[in-house]
Amino acid sequence: MVPERRRPPEASSKSSSSMMSESPRNRKPDLPFTPFDSTNLWCGDRHGRSFLEFSPPLVTQSNGLFGPDRETKSKNQHEPSPVDDPVMDWNPRLMLSNLSFLEQKIHQVQDIVRSIISHEDQFLDQANELAAQQQLVTADLTYIIIQLISTAGTLLPDIKNALLSTNPAVGRPGSNQKQHEILPVEVAKASQYDSLIKDLNSCGGKEDELIKCSNNSGVEASEPIPIEDHDTKDNDDGMDGENLPPGSYEVLQLEEEEILAPHTHFCLICGKGFKRDANLRMHMRGHGDEYKSPAALAKPSKEASIEPQPIRRYSCPFVGCKRNKEHKKFQPLKTILCVKNHYKRSHCDKSYTCSRCRTKKFSIIADLKTHEKHCGRDKWICSCGTTFSRKDKLFGHVALFQGHAPAIPMDDAKVLVTSDKAQVSEASSGMPGNMDYNFSGNTSLDAQSPDLKGVDDGHGCFSPMTLDACNIWGLAEFPHSAYEVSESTFSFLATVPFKGMEKIKFQAAGMMNCSEQHYPVIIYIRSNKGVQVETSIMTDAHARTVSFEVPVYSWHLNPTSAEISICRTQHERGKYYKCRIT
Amino acid sequence: MKGARQQHRHQPFHSILAALSVDLLIQILERVDDPRDRKAWRLVCRDFLRAEALHRRALRVLRLEALPGLLRRYAACLDLLDLSACPGLGDHALATALFAGAGSWLLKSVSLSRASGVGWRGLAALAAACPRLESVDLSHCVGVGDREAAALAAAEGLRMLRLDKCLRVTDVGLAKLAVGCPALENLRIKWCLEISDIGIELLAKKCRDLRVLDISYLKITNSSVKSISSLGKLEVLSMVGCSNIDDEGLQFLNNGSNSLRSIDVSRCDNVTASGLTSVIEGHMCLQKLNVGDCFPELAPLFLSKLNGLKDSLTVLILDGFQVSASSLKIIGVNCKNLSEIGLSKCKWVTDEGISELVAGCVNLMSIDLTCCRMLTDKALMAIGEQNKKLVCLRLESCSLMTDKGLEHIGTGCPNLEEIDLTDCPITDTAMKYLSRCSELMILKLGLCDKISSEGLVHIASNCQNLCELDLYRCIEVTDDGLAAIATGCSKLQKLNLCYCTQITDQGMKHLSCLEDLRDLELRGLHHVTSLGVTSIAIGCRRLTELDLKRCNLVDNVGLCALAQYTGNLRQINISYCPVSSMGLCKLLGTLKCLQDVKLVHLTHVPVERLELALRAYGGQLKKLKLFIGLRDLLSPWLIQMLQARRCRIRWVDKPLVFSP
Repeated sequence: MVPERRRPPEASSKSSSSMMSESPRNRKPDLPFTPFDSTNLWCGDRHGRSFLEFSPPLVTQSNGLFGPDRETKSKNQHEPSPVDDPVMDWNPRLMLSNLSFLEQKIHQVQDIVRSIISHEDQFLDQANELAAQQQLVTADLTYIIIQLISTAGTLLPDIKNALLSTNPAVGRPGSNQKQHEILPVEVAKASQYDSLIKDLNSCGGKEDELIKCSNNSGVEASEPIPIEDHDTKDNDDGMDGENLPPGSYEVLQLEEEEILAPHTHFCLICGKGFKRDANLRMHMRGHGDEYKSPAALAKPSKEASIEPQPIRRYSCPFVGCKRNKEHKKFQPLKTILCVKNHYKRSHCDKSYTCSRCRTKKFSIIADLKTHEKHCGRDKWICSCGTTFSRKDKLFGHVALFQGHAPAIPMDDAKVLVTSDKAQVSEASSGMPGNMDYNFSGNTSLDAQSPDLKGVDDGHGCFSPMTLDACNIWGLAEFPHSAYEVSESTFSFLATVPFKGMEKIKFQAAGMMNCSEQHYPVIIYIRSNKGVQVETSIMTDAHARTVSFEVPVYSWHLNPTSAEISICRTQHERGKYYKCRIT
Repeated sequence: MKGARQQHRHQPFHSILAALSVDLLIQILERVDDPRDRKAWRLVCRDFLRAEALHRRALRVLRLEALPGLLRRYAACLDLLDLSACPGLGDHALATALFAGAGSWLLKSVSLSRASGVGWRGLAALAAACPRLESVDLSHCVGVGDREAAALAAAEGLRMLRLDKCLRVTDVGLAKLAVGCPALENLRIKWCLEISDIGIELLAKKCRDLRVLDISYLKITNSSVKSISSLGKLEVLSMVGCSNIDDEGLQFLNNGSNSLRSIDVSRCDNVTASGLTSVIEGHMCLQKLNVGDCFPELAPLFLSKLNGLKDSLTVLILDGFQVSASSLKIIGVNCKNLSEIGLSKCKWVTDEGISELVAGCVNLMSIDLTCCRMLTDKALMAIGEQNKKLVCLRLESCSLMTDKGLEHIGTGCPNLEEIDLTDCPITDTAMKYLSRCSELMILKLGLCDKISSEGLVHIASNCQNLCELDLYRCIEVTDDGLAAIATGCSKLQKLNLCYCTQITDQGMKHLSCLEDLRDLELRGLHHVTSLGVTSIAIGCRRLTELDLKRCNLVDNVGLCALAQYTGNLRQINISYCPVSSMGLCKLLGTLKCLQDVKLVHLTHVPVERLELALRAYGGQLKKLKLFIGLRDLLSPWLIQMLQARRCRIRWVDKPLVFSP
């Protein structure tokens, strides 16, 4: 009834339950701990014969556990002195105080039970009241038992060391009554105490579960299953994680919803989700003082070391994926994190776009952040537009894809700054995202009497040639590129230096407002003779004008018209814009 | 009307086609081999010229200015175009010339070797104009880089490509080529120092048909050899001087997954016998093995492995090894089919060893014994007795050889074509024996100071095919000897007469009847005057290289004659000659093909005149040798201009010393 009294048993039972959940026999980690209820305990009492199926030492112990308090008390009383702190050496005084505390506790329970008996008739009417009473008794009894075990456990140096070193949260299981009998018991015996506690905890289930559980535990106590587990553990130690033979590990396949769920830890009280268990535990503090105890806040112990687990690997739920267990050459994923990352990378939309290049997309935000660190520094460019920060990566890419080749940056690309163009561009700069662009080329170039007379001229005579290139930069697929095209106006000037020369000089005039210093663009040009030219240049972020030369391979074929496409990647190439040679 | 009538009247009279159809003319032309006869044919009439144009498949252009006209005439049928003698060829000229062909080019092979003026625009035009292009030679175009390689990669059908010493080609350029020309079979990237393992790996992945690969002197490591080993069709692998490759790399060739026939690992410092052993194990059909200057000692294991190549191995180069008699015996026993062996600079090569070797290898055609100083006449006797098929014998610095030994060669080896007797103590008697080898083409007698005109008379009497003669410092040789040579060996192309001090203008006059002479060295001939040079210039029209260094009597007259007659001259050395500015200006102003000019210590030419002459030169200079004292005297503008036009200036720091 008093909260202080209920807390210790809860905490201790919780810790023991966590231990349970990690043991291989009770592999249901998601099951929340259900506290004992007195009905179950009583059932255990009533179905006392079920305990007969225990192996003999267990029977005696269980009798002792569930037997009359007096016996426990009398036995405990002539114990020299129990020790509370496991780390400290055996302290008789401490044990004495522990025992006296236990005595008090037992008296309290006795009182409760007496009151239940006396008010039996009333309880028939008030079922809730009765249930509460029973719960209280169960909780107190559990606490007593655990305290007893831990107190007695301090007297067994072997067990203490073995268990404390590996399993501090379990407490100190040990013999409760017949200590003199159990004293010489070896470490292996400890597993029996373990199972004992587990049985005790599993009593928290339904009636039939209790039987099942006790059966199970009995079997386990006698059957050499732990030895089997040891074998698998040996395998694990000897094996390389990557080359596990199929069947040597357990494959777990999470569902898509589970993988994509943002949170994996949920508060049982309010339902709030958390990414980390530690965060959940911190959150739980707000739900009451019982969650503030060090034990409740402590990290759940890792018992994998004491309880050997089979190797667990994960399968991707996407059928047909190599990481899916149905795949012929199935390659399992190691951890849940691997599953999450793999699933997002391979089977999900890439929703995060780099804000700098606006090309690269990622499905994991961490990948995006990694990319953004290097974005814009890629100087190795493939003809398809993909950029790489490392040469060997580019060459690997080129080797993989047919027809791809490294692009050569134009070394003679000149960056000119022309002030008048800049003024034009500033004047015409409108709202971002505006799709209507005023191309200075349409006006200024037309005014410049664009006749191609250079063909007949001698060396060094330059003549302008108009390219009817409107909207070169205002491509539908381009406005979101790193170049804030909306703020720029571009004109294309094409000049033929002298007769028979096989180059055309294009000049893109305008302001490019990209956030990065240097960006590569690829220029594709095709003439009416079907010639396609590809080249790439590095552009300067602050340049108003970029001029570059491109080869027209078969100039002697006399192209009468040419089309040009300027883009970041090959995929953006779709639109060609006519440049009429007049 | 009048014109038409004239045509009517002239047509039957002029046209030989009435009697001989074009195909008949071509049939006749096919039997005319000599280029001089061909030239005469061309000059007969227009129809003959047209027939010749239809017949011609290969064209080597000697002068750039003739290129457009030549291409216009031969555009239709040409297979091979050699532009390697046109260093001044630029993008514009090339593009225009190709434009003249109007897109109907059937060119398969183009040589642009040393045509360093061609850039990516020209190559792009070439690739676009010649869709059937299969072979391109860009060797020694030091300016060629990635962009040029990329332009060339547009020629999809390319099968053979030489990029030797294209210093700026990097992995990117190589990748462009590998992707653009997947049919590449023969690739030489010797001295392309920027290429690394990454490029080679991609090449091996993309060009699966590679048969011949030259990666000499590249800074590549074992991983390149690993990727190369996957090339199934590879037959010839040359990796001279790859010091980063060691035995571990060669072990990748152990699996025999490629059909290697020839491997050259000479000067690979880190290769030892065990690495070579693994190569041999992997390729039991190896025909050619060059392991010169790799490791000093022949390991017994390696020698025993040669047994596995018993039938196939034909060429074995062991330069710089310590080869004992027993090793040579093992080689002789194991490699019966050996046709060429190189033992240059090998230590411990004895008469006994050579006897054992030639006793086993009776099919030897080429033996290189350069600097095997312990050999005596006995070795030559053994060779003369056993190797009747011998074609090439090199005996430079075998100082124990005498005339007697050469008697065996002269009698035993009637097929001998090349012999190197530089620095051997032989006399005219030896020449008498050698004159029995009527097939002799190359004869090197440098430093044989006992050879006189008498010996040359012997040679001239029977060796009509001689095309190269080296008489460096044969001080006994006189004009009479040259007279004999000039009459007997009319096919002579290369003649070295340096420091044969007895030679006078008379000798030059004799030589002037050698029409094929291309390379003439007259260094230090004190008695030769401008008159002699003039007669050479008039007679030897094909002269391309001329060395007149320290010809103290050659002056402006000689240079003017050269300027007037030897239009094809490419290299000239007039250092220390008493020429004045007039002659120099005339020379440089007239000759358009000059590439390499040496003008050290021209004491009669003032600096300003020298500068004027250099500015007057209209061609494409590639190398210029000047006295270092002029570096500060010549205007920096000139030097900059020359360097901008890809001319390399070598400054010589030698004091002016008048030779006696």
